Amino acid sequence: MPTLTERLTKGGSPKVNVERYRTIRTIVLVAVTAVAAGGFLLEIPRIQILEHTARNLYFHVPMWFTLMAAVLVSAYHSLRFLQTGDLRRDVRAREAALVGVVFGILGLLTGMVWARFTWYQGTNIWWNFDPKQSMAAVQLLIYGAYLVLRTAFDEPQKRGRIAAVYNLFALVTVPFLLYILPRQAPSLHPGADGNPAFSDFTAPSMRWVLYPAFASFIGLFWVIYTQRVRAALLKLRLYGDTD
Amino acid sequence: MLRWLHGAWAVFEKDIKLELRSRYAINTMLLFVLSALFLTAFAVGQETLTPRIESALLWIVIVFAAALGLGRSFVSEQERGTVLLLLLHTQGGMVYAGKLLFNFLFVLGLNLLAMATFVLLVGVQVVAPGLLLTTLVLGALGLAGATTLLAAIIARTATRGPLLPVLVFPMLIPLLLAVVTATRHALPDGQGWSAVGDELLTLVGFAGVVISASIILFDYVWYD
Repeated sequence: MPTLTERLTKGGSPKVNVERYRTIRTIVLVAVTAVAAGGFLLEIPRIQILEHTARNLYFHVPMWFTLMAAVLVSAYHSLRFLQTGDLRRDVRAREAALVGVVFGILGLLTGMVWARFTWYQGTNIWWNFDPKQSMAAVQLLIYGAYLVLRTAFDEPQKRGRIAAVYNLFALVTVPFLLYILPRQAPSLHPGADGNPAFSDFTAPSMRWVLYPAFASFIGLFWVIYTQRVRAALLKLRLYGDTD
Repeated sequence: MLRWLHGAWAVFEKDIKLELRSRYAINTMLLFVLSALFLTAFAVGQETLTPRIESALLWIVIVFAAALGLGRSFVSEQERGTVLLLLLHTQGGMVYAGKLLFNFLFVLGLNLLAMATFVLLVGVQVVAPGLLLTTLVLGALGLAGATTLLAAIIARTATRGPLLPVLVFPMLIPLLLAVVTATRHALPDGQGWSAVGDELLTLVGFAGVVISASIILFDYVWYD
């Protein structure tokens, strides 16, 4: 029976340059704080109806980009798990999906609240079948099913393999939504149906916050994801189990 | 290649024979579809439905019935202990192809039965029967394609419980949207074939993509 220290140190722990990791982490956290402060405090052009709600752009849109990044990371690690059978890949796929779900829910909520008071002002509509909203909801349902499926297995290898299969299998159906959803309901969303995309109407001054917001939200995802992965890898080495 | 086809056909033949011997799945699904459609008809009452709602109700019943019925296709092998025999005598791809063919015919029968019952019960007029039939066939292909791999996944879980609908419904949303629109155009006020080219194309593409992905991924589920 190996001792605790042996179990914690055996098996290639990922080579991390701790100094550099901490530097990047600090930069990300400072940048997220700066983006949040700038997003709320800086001047923005006042447009009728939109008014100050335009600030939502700084938070809502980067959250979607983060969800998309998380989906790609999760799918990549699922694929690599099927190729290698390395449980650390499975841990990474799960953590990317989990953190992605948090960003997705936040993106969905910020979008819903914003739309309620702009597009549907004076009505009582919270949920509308806007294609982008529906796609995000479907992706979140898929990850919900993925995480539930994981709990149905006791054996880590089998759990990892079958969860990876589901992760990839469900993902191939998502692109169809891009094609079929816009035909169901007209979209008010910027960038759809001849509505200008945000690059067309965003004032130059807003880009100084928006572009750093993309980078810092994805950075925030990366920090949370890597921290969770480190904790989960320690657990894996201690108990030999992923969940 | 010929050996492969032969193996897949053998798996299919075995499933058909077993099913005809007990008729458990067929009878269960028959009664499920009938009772679900009766519930729908009673709940709707004398109200006249728009074609959109008619096709939505019909497909909701079909999707639930398929998710319930197809969930058995690999679990039954586990319960009878015949998985090892299949592993010994066939390759993964043959098992998948045989099961897919059986599931496709099963869902197709289910679709036709549900449609016929629905037309009788709710008094739906069908304007474009050819289009409706095409939609039912393509919908059955997509449903069977998406569900067969997931049914194999369910058989590997410890509980083998009611997980299949949770797994399959988010994936079926593109399919459901396409079949509901196509069915609506086959009913009164619809525009027939001319309006649904994109939907039919989506159905063909959906079935092609899920079946191709299943063929690639099936071995990871089937072998330990």
